Amino acid sequence: MASIAELVRPVPSHVPASRVYDFDFHSDPLYAEKGDVHDAFLHLLNTAPGMFWTPRNGGHWVILEYNLISEAMRTPEIFSSLSQAIPPMPVEIVMPPISMDPPDHAKFRAPLNKAFSPKSMLELAGDIRELAAELIDKIAADGQCDFVSAISEPLPVLIFMKLMGMPTDRLAEFRVWVHQTLSNTPEREVAYGKVAQCMAELIDARIKEPQNDLISRLIEFEIDGEKLSRDLLLGYCQLLFIAGLDTVVNGMSLAIRHMARNPELQEQLRADPSRIQDAVEEMLRRYPIAMPSRRVAQDVEWNGIALRTDDRVLMAMPAAHLDPKAFPDPQQYALCRENVAHIVFGTGVHRCAGSHLARIELQILYDEWLKRIPSFRMDPDKRERFHAANVISIDYLPIVWNV
Amino acid sequence: MSKMKIVIDRNRCAGHARCAAIDPELFILDDDGYIASEDFDVPEGKEASARRGARACPERVISVIEED
Repeated sequence: MASIAELVRPVPSHVPASRVYDFDFHSDPLYAEKGDVHDAFLHLLNTAPGMFWTPRNGGHWVILEYNLISEAMRTPEIFSSLSQAIPPMPVEIVMPPISMDPPDHAKFRAPLNKAFSPKSMLELAGDIRELAAELIDKIAADGQCDFVSAISEPLPVLIFMKLMGMPTDRLAEFRVWVHQTLSNTPEREVAYGKVAQCMAELIDARIKEPQNDLISRLIEFEIDGEKLSRDLLLGYCQLLFIAGLDTVVNGMSLAIRHMARNPELQEQLRADPSRIQDAVEEMLRRYPIAMPSRRVAQDVEWNGIALRTDDRVLMAMPAAHLDPKAFPDPQQYALCRENVAHIVFGTGVHRCAGSHLARIELQILYDEWLKRIPSFRMDPDKRERFHAANVISIDYLPIVWNV
Repeated sequence: MSKMKIVIDRNRCAGHARCAAIDPELFILDDDGYIASEDFDVPEGKEASARRGARACPERVISVIEED
């Protein structure tokens, strides 16, 4: 892939100057300036058009407004999931079902719906709670931790690796790969290759000796009476690797950072844990984690904007959920917010298959953390670190509490 | 006496399962977590819960019909 400087492309002729706005979703200076990725998107909402073209990362659209994102994600005939990466990949990898459109999509989505159904995920609650308690108890007496390395990284990632049948002793290595697959540097393709090779080895091992894990179940899965091809099987596993090893990590970190800055919310939830479910939903709404992308599949005028085939489109979920037209007083984290019907897990057929697992993990984390750790706050002597890509990530989150 | 009915556009359910999180007795899910309930009359006393369940749907496929 091209260097980052070469990723800046001339604005195509179908894009009017009034819709051009310079923004790099991987590393915009606005992130550092605001000190917070979500605040940067809030700033964009106030300064940029609700849908604009940026010349960065190969050149692409960015949709900020909630209504437009909802409509786009429910219109796959215009906003296709085939070849959707930003910047474009030199060789696109088919990852079922996320990189497919209806009607094929439904067939390939079916095995994941079964595997990640609310019922199946509830069966994991005991294991999740046990691991959460174990990880938290390990650091409770220290009075401080980097929440990412101590809790939010191992908890959901180990649960997911076990579910998949991945070797848990390679967690640190796999986390590096995930971040590379989400980057806009040449490391991206290399990392996809490493993930593919690793998953291919696991698939071979499971073909010889099936286990009670998701890889073994995918091998057995049939579509139209036939087992999956080797390439599709690998595609599934690559998707699950990337989707399973990063998003909930950041959902947990973003939540704990907000609570560390808002001790009254901690007190409220400790006093009444029955509010945790609502607290999780409003936290997801206030701090969306993932930004999906699409590729325009036809030349079309859409909401007054000329789109051309192969234009890439980024769905800026953080902006959509801070859009005052959709959520009044959007910066406010409001536990009592009526009607938090957010689309942080996407909307339409591609709704995040892992959403039920994510919700259960977040609810358990809130509960166990607040039970075991007294009032906590950001470490006044250290500063958190974050980065952004299609997933908004906190890399380091130093917090302290009295022991 | 007013009667309340729930109408569901099942084809557009995306399986968020938020309705069932509000009231699992009113909104029944299939094994995959998608809505299994057909349109139904809301039992007396369940009106508030039915309204909240409908509002919780991110796809906006659950409608509340109130008849006088």
